[in-house]
This record gives sequence, structure tokens and C-alpha cells, in this order.
Amino acid sequence: MSLLKSEWRKLVYVRAHWGLLVGAVVLAGFGTAVTPIILDSNSATFGLALDQQTAVDSVYANAISSYIFAIIIGIMLMSGEFRHGTAVATFLTAPKRGTVLANKLGIAAIGGALVMVLSTGAGIAAGWVTLSFFENVAEPSSGVFLNTMIAAVVSGSILGIVGVAIGTLIRNQMLAITGSLIYLFVVDPILLTLVPEAGKWLPSGLITAMLALDIQAPEFGIDTANYLPPLTATLVLLGYGVVFGVVAIATSLRRDID
Amino acid sequence: MNAVISFTGLVKTYGGQNAVDDLSASVNQGRITGFLGPNGAGKSTALRCLVGLAAPSSGSAQILGVPYRELENPLSRVGTVLDSRGFHPALTGRQNLRVVAAAASIPDARVDEVLEMVELSEAANKKMKKYSLGMKQRLALAGAILGDPEILILDEPANGLDPAGIAWLRRFLRVLAEGGRTILVSSHQLAEMQHTVDDVLIINKGKLIAAGTKEQVMGPDSLEDAFLKLTGGSLS
Repeated sequence: MSLLKSEWRKLVYVRAHWGLLVGAVVLAGFGTAVTPIILDSNSATFGLALDQQTAVDSVYANAISSYIFAIIIGIMLMSGEFRHGTAVATFLTAPKRGTVLANKLGIAAIGGALVMVLSTGAGIAAGWVTLSFFENVAEPSSGVFLNTMIAAVVSGSILGIVGVAIGTLIRNQMLAITGSLIYLFVVDPILLTLVPEAGKWLPSGLITAMLALDIQAPEFGIDTANYLPPLTATLVLLGYGVVFGVVAIATSLRRDID
Repeated sequence: MNAVISFTGLVKTYGGQNAVDDLSASVNQGRITGFLGPNGAGKSTALRCLVGLAAPSSGSAQILGVPYRELENPLSRVGTVLDSRGFHPALTGRQNLRVVAAAASIPDARVDEVLEMVELSEAANKKMKKYSLGMKQRLALAGAILGDPEILILDEPANGLDPAGIAWLRRFLRVLAEGGRTILVSSHQLAEMQHTVDDVLIINKGKLIAAGTKEQVMGPDSLEDAFLKLTGGSLS
């Protein structure tokens, strides 16, 4: 418990982490709030109108878009130790590195989940407010809120863990964050569009699959018919978390601390 | 006398070069031991191996008969200052120490006690990035004594300190030593250490070149003169 408390203090004492939470809430809120406006003004292009349940579901599903912030929190928790030299104090206080990493992974999972729950909640609220200004809006499907919140908790936890693993492997914080942004916003969507069979196994495909949406819009890179079933996607994402967690612990055990 | 720190054939190699080369030495209980040598002699590397931050290429380094990593709650046995980094610049001095205290199950009240001991109470809520180098060194010392340890390992604690800071450090170390603590302090400032230490280990180019009480090693000369004789006049 003592190491968990110490790692929790590292999470809440650093103001940049609160800035990330605010950023996640703003991005999810804004992104979800404008989605109905975009769908309504381009319904012919998208083939979706707000009087269709699928369109309303996809508005609320957009609330989960801040998952990059969960990864960044994980990266900052770990690579910050090397950037500021606090790894020295950390490993002098608790020299059993595997135990330290296990606790850090736990706090990163909690931090990632909190960021995703709060930002997704803000997104859903913003989407609901915007939709209330439109007429003839369909009711969302019964499971969309639950599915979205479950996906937020699971993806936030796992991506927090993945972030710590990335921060362990790439000790340069800026490089780790920039690389993750490029991967998630450029490489992953391209793979999802060009190679859907492979893309559905990648993080963004798995997170979308967890929402259990039914959207066939291959011209926009989304065809949920090709995605894994929600439970399978959740298990695969958990698998990512386990693999990255093991890599983080194994890496930290071997390397000298500068 | 009882040896509480021991190096046995310690070798640490970086890129084919021995930063520490077959170092065997010991530090006795209740003494202030100077670990002396020029910059780049291998002092910091040896200390990092001693506290488990770097893995020895061969040989071993032990504290209280075991590797540092095997000490139970090490902060209550050994306090360490390796450099003035090690604290998060965006956190206050108090927050930085509370992070460490939580990990070692030390109550927060102890944080305020040690901040007072190093005369940083008034700056406790100031962000660490606004601290002067002297204040950072004192914060590091506060971190080292947080667990009230019986052994202190200090790597170049006087680095960057002004004369008043060095005088303060000398007094502080004496107070700690009077409480019966064992202190291993590394420095390249031989003249300054002459006023502080009881025993001496001198290292040059990774190798131990002298060990003993200060008087044994110095003879009739100063520590600096003794070092120059031992190394053939070269401080490199």
C-alpha cells in the first residue's frame, strides 16, 4: 500500500497531469458536441441522419475519443522519472524494481480509467445537450451508454499501462509522447482503413469494437461489420495490457538507473 | 572495528572501459569515511553499484552484509544523496519528500522535522525548480535522513556550494556523525575533506590507491599532497 500511496501522490501532485485531464474533458466534450452538427449538415454525405438510431449512437460513441490522454499520463508517470531523475529516489526507497513497476502500472491504470470516465462522461453530456437542440432525433440504443462507459474504463486502464511500458522503453519523454501520437492518429487509422483484417486487431479498432456499434461507412474507414465482437476486443486489449506490463517490468529490472 | 560497507573485487565496465577496476575496500561503523579522487575516478559509479542503481560487471558491493536491494525498508538503514537531481522540479520541497516518505511508510510529520533540520522550513512550499543549488543539496540531505538511517552515503554533497554552504555542510555532517552514524562521503575536494573525515579511501582511474585512517594516509602532509604523491603528481 505504501508504494501505491507514493505513486498516487506522484499522479496528483503534478499539475501537468491535471492539465491532461482538463484537455481530455475539453476534447471529448467539444468533439461530441459538434458531431450532431456535422452529421446534420452532411447527412447525405455520411448516409446517416439524426433520426436514425445508428447516427445518435455514433454521436455518443465519439465521447470516448480522448484515449490518447490515458497513454500520455502513463508515459509521463514513467518517463518523467528518468527526465527529472526521480527514478533515483524511487529505486533507492524501493529497490525491488518489479514491485515499484507493478504499483506504478496500477496507478497508471487507475489514472487512465479516471481520465477516460470523466472525459467520456463530459462527452456524453455535451452530446446530449447538443442533440436536445435538434428535432426528430432518434433515441439511442439501450446499451450505448453502458458500452461506452465500459469501453472508457477498460481502454483507459489498459492504455495507462501501455503508456508506462512505452515510458520504460523510451526514456525520452517528448519522443515517447510524439511517437505515440503519430502512431495513434496516423499509423493506426491508416492500417485500419487499408488493411482492415489487420487493423481490427490494433488499439483504435479494438476500442471501437468494444462500443458494439453498427456502422457501415467503409469510405470513411469505419465498417464495424469487420470488427471483432466486443468481448473478444476487450480480451485482446487486455492482452495488450498484460504484454506491455510484462515488458515494462522486465525492462526496468535489467537497466542501470542514471 | 566492524565493517558495515564492503566492496569486493568490484568491476564496472562501460563500453570496454573499466570505470571501476577491481575495487576492494571497507567502511567501518561510526566513522566518517572520505571516498576521494579526481572527477571521473569512478567514485559515483562505485556508489551507484553499492546502492543497486547500477549492476556490477563483476564482484560485489554490500551494505550491512547484503546487497542494497535485499535490505528491508532501506531508507531506515541507509540514506543516500547521489546528486541534486532526483526531485521533481514542479513539486514543492515538501511534496517531493512526501512522495518518498509515503513509499517508505514514514509519517508526513517526519517530513516537516527534516525540513527544519536542514533549515528549509520556510521554503517547504516553494517549487523545487526555484531552489538554489545549495537549497537542492539540503533538500537531498533531508531526503537522506528521512528514515533516520544509521548509514549515510553522500556523493559530492559539497558540489556547487558556496563557502557558507560548505561550512554548514561540515557542521551538519559532524552533528550526524556524533549520533553514531556511519558516513561515506565522496568528494574531489581533497582540502575540504581533510577537515571532515576520519578515514580515507582514495581512488584513481577506477582503482583503489590508498585506504586507512586520515593520519595514516596523509602522514605529515596534507591530503592533497598525499594524493599527488600516490598518483605520481597527476590529478587526472
